[in-house]
Amino acid sequence: MTVKRKPYILLCIIAVLAALLGIPRLFSMDYYLHIFVMSEIYAVLALSLSLLVGFTGQVSMGHAAFYGMGAYASAILSLRLGLSFWVTFWMAGLLVGTVAYLIGRLVLRLRGHVLAITTAFFCVLVTVVMNNWIPVTNGPMGITGVPSPSPFSLFGVHAVIETRAQYYYLGLLFVACVVYFLWRIESSRIGDAMIAVRENEELAKSIGIDTMKSKVLAFTISGALAGLAGAFYAHYIHFISPVTFTINESINILVMVIFGGMSTLFGPILGAVCLTILPEFLRMAGELRLVIYGIALIVFIIWMPMGIWGTIQRILLPKGPEKTQG
Amino acid sequence: MTTIFFQQILNGVIQGCIYALIALGLSLVFGILEIANFAHGEFYMIGAFMALFSITFLGVPFFIAMIIAMIGMAFVATVIERVVFRPIVGKPLINSMLLSFGLSTALANLALYFFKADPRKITSGLASYRFSFLGLYITGERIAILVLSVFLVLLLAWFIQYTRTGKAMRAVAQDRTAAQLAGINIRRIYSVTFAISGALAAAAGTMVGAMFFVNPEMGFTVVLKSFVIVTLGGFGKIKGVIFAAILIGLVESLGGGFISYAYKDAYPFLLLILLFILKPEGLAGGK
Repeated sequence: MTVKRKPYILLCIIAVLAALLGIPRLFSMDYYLHIFVMSEIYAVLALSLSLLVGFTGQVSMGHAAFYGMGAYASAILSLRLGLSFWVTFWMAGLLVGTVAYLIGRLVLRLRGHVLAITTAFFCVLVTVVMNNWIPVTNGPMGITGVPSPSPFSLFGVHAVIETRAQYYYLGLLFVACVVYFLWRIESSRIGDAMIAVRENEELAKSIGIDTMKSKVLAFTISGALAGLAGAFYAHYIHFISPVTFTINESINILVMVIFGGMSTLFGPILGAVCLTILPEFLRMAGELRLVIYGIALIVFIIWMPMGIWGTIQRILLPKGPEKTQG
Repeated sequence: MTTIFFQQILNGVIQGCIYALIALGLSLVFGILEIANFAHGEFYMIGAFMALFSITFLGVPFFIAMIIAMIGMAFVATVIERVVFRPIVGKPLINSMLLSFGLSTALANLALYFFKADPRKITSGLASYRFSFLGLYITGERIAILVLSVFLVLLLAWFIQYTRTGKAMRAVAQDRTAAQLAGINIRRIYSVTFAISGALAAAAGTMVGAMFFVNPEMGFTVVLKSFVIVTLGGFGKIKGVIFAAILIGLVESLGGGFISYAYKDAYPFLLLILLFILKPEGLAGGK
C-alpha cells in the first residue's frame, strides 16, 4: 500500500464506522435489526471459516458443528449451572476450541475432497448426537429459555443487553474483535506459514514449516471462534435446536466465504451480510425460494468463481491481478 | 436371537447392494471428472419418481418402469453434465462441491414443489411372494432387488473392463491429458460417465422406492452415506466400493438392530472416523 492512499482509506473507515453505529437509529424496526444481528453472527462464522479455507487452503464442511457445539455448551452451562453469559461465552469458546483441536489433529492428515467430506461427516455426527442425546440436549425439541446476558457495570457504566439494538452493538464489538484478532494472526509469521501451506504444502514442509501445526492451529482458532458465535447466537435467540446446525448451515457459511471472496478479511463479511439479507428478499418467492437459491448458487459459481470482492477488485484494479494480502 | 441376527445380515446385504449402485456412480464421476457430486442423491430421487410415475400413469410392470427410469435419468444426467458441470471441470474442488450442492438444493426443492412431501410407494407386485428359508423370511421383491443389483454391478464391471468406451473411461481417469493425446474424445467420456451414474442411481431409487418410500427429500442422507462408502472403498476403485457398500449396509442393519436404532444413521460416519484413526490411508490402501 502506498502512503498516498492512506487518508482515503482512513476516511472510508470513519464513514463505515459511523454508518455501522448509526444503523439502529436508521432501522429501528425489530425485523431489520434482527437481520443485522444475524449478519454479525454470520460475519464471525464466515471470518473464522475463511482463516481455514481462504488462508490455510483446507476446505471444511463441518463449521456448523462447532457453531452448534458452542451454542449448546453455552446454553447448557448457563441453564444447568446458572452461570452468566459472560462466563459461559468464554467457556463455550474454550470447550469448542479443545474439541476442534482434537478433531483437527485427527482429520487434517487428510487432504482435499477427503478432508471436506470427512468434516461433513463430523457435522452429521454432531447433529445426530444433538437429536438423540436427550438427557443433555433435549433432543429435537431443543433448549428453550436461554437467558440474556446478565447486566454488568464496567468503569461506572451500567449496561444491559436486552433489546435488539443492544445486541447489535455487542455483536459489532464482537465482529470488530474477531477482525482485529484475525488481522493480527494473518499479518504475523503464523499467517505467513498458513499461506505457505495453502500455496504448496510440500514446499512449505521442505523449508521447515511445521505444516500440520499450522493447519491444526487454523482449525482450532476457526472452531473456537465459531463456538463463540454459537454462544452469542444461543443467548440472542434464547432458543436452540438441532435443525439450525445441520450440514446445510455449514455449506451456507462456506458459500458466504466464497461469495464474498476468500483470503481477505473484507470478503467474508461482505458475503455474510449479502447472504443474510438477500434470502429475505427471496421470501416473496414462497415455496420456490430454495430453488432460486440453488440456481443462483450454480450461476454464481460458474460466472464469479473469485467471489464478489475478487470481481470488484478485478474491475477496480484493471492493471494486474494484484491480490490483497494484508 | 440367531435368526434375528441372520435376518439382519440378509437385510444388510440387500441394503448394501443398493448402496453399491449409488456409490459406484458417485465414484465413477469422481474418478473421471474429479467432481464431488452432491446432487447424486437427487438423481436417485428423480429416478425413483420416474419409475413411480411410469407405473402410475403408464401402468407398466416394475422392471419396465425401472428401465424407463434408468434411460430417462441417464438422459437427464447427461443434460445436467453438459449444462452445469462442464464449465467447471478442472476448477478447484470447492467450486464443484458448492455447485453440486446448489444443484441438489434446486432439484430437491423443485421436486418438493411439484410432487409434495408425502411419501409414496412403488408397487412392484412382488412383495406378496414370501419365501422362508432356514427360518429367514425374504419377499420375492427383495430377491428381485438382490438379483438385479448384483446383475447391474457385474454389468458395470464388465463394461468398464472390456468395452472400448470402458477402457477409454479408465484411461481418462488415469491421466486426462494423455488420454486426450491418444485421441479419446474426452467430452463423450464425460457424458457417458454421467449417463451411467444417473442410470445406476435411478435403478437404486426404484428399488428403494419399492422397499420403502419415495419422497423428494430421500436424496441427501443417501448421498452422504455414499460418500462414506466411496471414501472407505477408495475413490474410483470398483471392488473397494462394492465391499465398502456391503460393509456399511451390514453395519447399519446390525447396529440398528442390536445397539440402538436411534443412532442408526450415525454408524457409517462413526465407522469412517474410527477407521481414519486406525488406518489413515483408507481400506483399500493408498490413494
